[in-house]
Amino acid sequence: MSISIDKQTMDELNLLGKFRQGSVYGLFNKVRTRGGEQLLNKLFMQPLDNAAAINERSSILRSFQHAALDFPFDVQQVGLMRDYLDTETGKTALATLGNIMVKSWLSVLTRDERYKKIVQGLQATIVTLNRCHAFVSEKAWAAGPYAARVGAIRAILSDGRLEKLRRTDIYRALPVKTLAYYDFLLKRGMRKEMKEVVDLIAEVDVYIAVSGVARAKGFNYAHVLPPEANILAAEGLYHPCIDHAVGNSLTLRRGSNVLFLTGANMAGKSTLMKSVGIGLYLAHMGFPVAAASMELSLREGLYSSINVADNINLGYSHFYAEVVRVKQAAEAAASGKRLLLMFDELFKGTNVKDAYDGTLAVTEAFAEYGNCLFIVSTHIIEVGEALKGNGNIRFVYMPTIMEGVHPRYTYKLREGITEDRQGMMIIQNEGILELLKED
Amino acid sequence: MYLTTDEQTITDLGIFGKQHGNGIYDLYNRTHTRGGEAVLKELFLHPLSDREEINRRSRIIEGFAALGMKFPFDGSLFDMAEKYLLHADAQSMNGVQQSVPGEKEVQLGVTAVIELMQRTMQFVGTAEVAGMTAFAQERNAMTLLLSDAVFEPVLREKAKSRLSYTAMTAYDALFRLREYGKIKRLLGQLYYLDVYLSVAKLASERKFVFPRALDKGRPFLRLEGVYHPELKNPVGNDLTMEAARSVIFLTGANMAGKSTFLRAMSTAVYIAHIGFPIAARSMEFSVMDGIYTTINLPDNLGIGASHFYNEVLRVKKMATELSHRKSLFIVFDELFRGTNVKDAHEATVAVAAAFSKRKGSLFVISSHIVEAGEELQRSPTVGFRFLPTRMNGHVPEYTYTLEEGITDDRHGMVIIRNEGVLDILKNGQKL
Repeated sequence: MSISIDKQTMDELNLLGKFRQGSVYGLFNKVRTRGGEQLLNKLFMQPLDNAAAINERSSILRSFQHAALDFPFDVQQVGLMRDYLDTETGKTALATLGNIMVKSWLSVLTRDERYKKIVQGLQATIVTLNRCHAFVSEKAWAAGPYAARVGAIRAILSDGRLEKLRRTDIYRALPVKTLAYYDFLLKRGMRKEMKEVVDLIAEVDVYIAVSGVARAKGFNYAHVLPPEANILAAEGLYHPCIDHAVGNSLTLRRGSNVLFLTGANMAGKSTLMKSVGIGLYLAHMGFPVAAASMELSLREGLYSSINVADNINLGYSHFYAEVVRVKQAAEAAASGKRLLLMFDELFKGTNVKDAYDGTLAVTEAFAEYGNCLFIVSTHIIEVGEALKGNGNIRFVYMPTIMEGVHPRYTYKLREGITEDRQGMMIIQNEGILELLKED
Repeated sequence: MYLTTDEQTITDLGIFGKQHGNGIYDLYNRTHTRGGEAVLKELFLHPLSDREEINRRSRIIEGFAALGMKFPFDGSLFDMAEKYLLHADAQSMNGVQQSVPGEKEVQLGVTAVIELMQRTMQFVGTAEVAGMTAFAQERNAMTLLLSDAVFEPVLREKAKSRLSYTAMTAYDALFRLREYGKIKRLLGQLYYLDVYLSVAKLASERKFVFPRALDKGRPFLRLEGVYHPELKNPVGNDLTMEAARSVIFLTGANMAGKSTFLRAMSTAVYIAHIGFPIAARSMEFSVMDGIYTTINLPDNLGIGASHFYNEVLRVKKMATELSHRKSLFIVFDELFRGTNVKDAHEATVAVAAAFSKRKGSLFVISSHIVEAGEELQRSPTVGFRFLPTRMNGHVPEYTYTLEEGITDDRHGMVIIRNEGVLDILKNGQKL
């Protein structure tokens, strides 16, 4: 079963969305063809479910990144070919011939464009198949992870009928009979094979785009382990959509499966969580991740609760919504799934004391699930003190450096619980108590 | 003199509401004329800070409420008159007459103005209105305007009679050109009358009471049965604050009604300073210089300030105002919620203790930090109230009635338990 992720988490991590600003999909969406875009979308919607497949895809991507190719096809011709192959043909060769003959006459008598479309479509197919043949014949694919796939396509293209088609000079007149023969062949006789070819082009498009992004941004490929390993380790992990982001290293594993994160409001707690979530998800797709290195075991689910805390004015209903969210996560964890759970500013919608009790109880309860990895952040640092006896919990914080009255943030994780008790300091800096003194 | 306040307070109390028609102002707005609506809005934007003026306005409305009098005009009469008089405005601005009303418009306008003036004369002439001492000032002003010699023919005109063309032309010149200033003043008076009468009607309908304003300086506030006017089935509360008990420290669980009570109370104080009736059984208050509430402080993530820092800035603003020796009514809901427990505790105690030493102002602070309350018990001017939660099995119930003391009722954990979150985790498959 592949990793399950719900809409809320998708939205919080801003994974999908072609038109959404700063979405992860948008970051990788450098594909050239419509087929490529559809495939990329599919990959995002359906992350992989076993380590072998993930590692295979990432090694293919790596080889593409190494080859540093330009997209070897003409985008317009690929589009024409796809449209051509999608249109109908006759039930029999004879019917096709009749049909095309009618269209060729119509084009002479009236302004019917259909015949012209067929000619253009076939020409585009010839050009594209030739490009494809050149691509699969390249020495780079003789060995390596993509060799098998390329070999299958090469076998298709070596079919005598297709070879003859490829050698057709498109600048010479093409008799209607030949046109009809190929129309029938491509759309019916070799329909499956042609679909393979079209799929390969989309794949190549995606691989080149994704590996190109990885090269440009300096992303690396995660090493994925089977689920039993139960580990998530990353070095120099950052948010892929933020330029000049600061990388952080963290390790979560059985026996040390909870990360207790503290720090001031703007110190970067949420961004760290998003980085982890996105990294994990991309790794499950076999895509490059924004990290110096990353190693992880497969997860069955990803639950987050990150942005909800930004709106505290919803009051009770907001608190209740948070409880319901935690309940969903608890049910998933209790069913024995291997999850990554991330809660940012848990129970921020309620009073400090309830937030304290709630965060403490929930964190302790989740810590017992060695199968699940758990990141929780809070501004209630007292919870950390109470959790210190628990060996499963690691404490980290995002520091704030006060320069006079202005806070500066390093975005670099440190061990421990924050001691940034700026509260009273800010009050004193503002001179409030002096103002209130009776004169 | 006006009561000082700010945008945050007006938003907190929902004076004007987010969408059209759901603010406190809309609740009080039963006016018949557009001018009256504008006047009402002005009054809501600028509550008074003068005992005499507040009491005078309050007595006028109370008087009208007692008489059960209706607004003696038809709203459409004003529409016609205003539309016609607009042309005079355009003219006076440029000194040259540019827009000329059509003949029909002149006819309707002149007739409307005549009817307005005649009805006003009738209204101020009635024995009830003449008997209202509080209204004497307005009444005299209107009588004086109407008894001006130039308007004598107007009042002599027979009601509903058709005017001759020449008479109409003469009146047109009189109203729109010669005596436009007086007509405008008269309309202004009638707008106020509209506000008074419509608020009086509301007071009778909703059984609102008229607060008594006391002298400024010695802070005092006595509320009996105060509730929020927008609630369907409200529970009234009593609270008395004075110089010797100038800070109230309010505790209670999330849903127990703290914010609602703070809103009800602040709204009462705000409306009382307009001189309007309020939702309570009775109210006495010393007139304040300003009112500031902090109930729904927004996070300002855009400018990179934390919620806590926003709260600090807000407290600083209050402190600055207080240092100008002003007499203020200040409300803080959930003070310092955006920080850790220790900071919240220390800051709450420090700020509340400092407030308790300021004489001349009144403070209400709600908090969840019960321990802060215990520490504040040493301050003699701090009073303690709480809104209780009664547990009925696993379901919390709320009385919404203030009680004396401090509570550590909380039900956040109850909700978490009721949802079975911890049980699910306790009994799950742990590997």
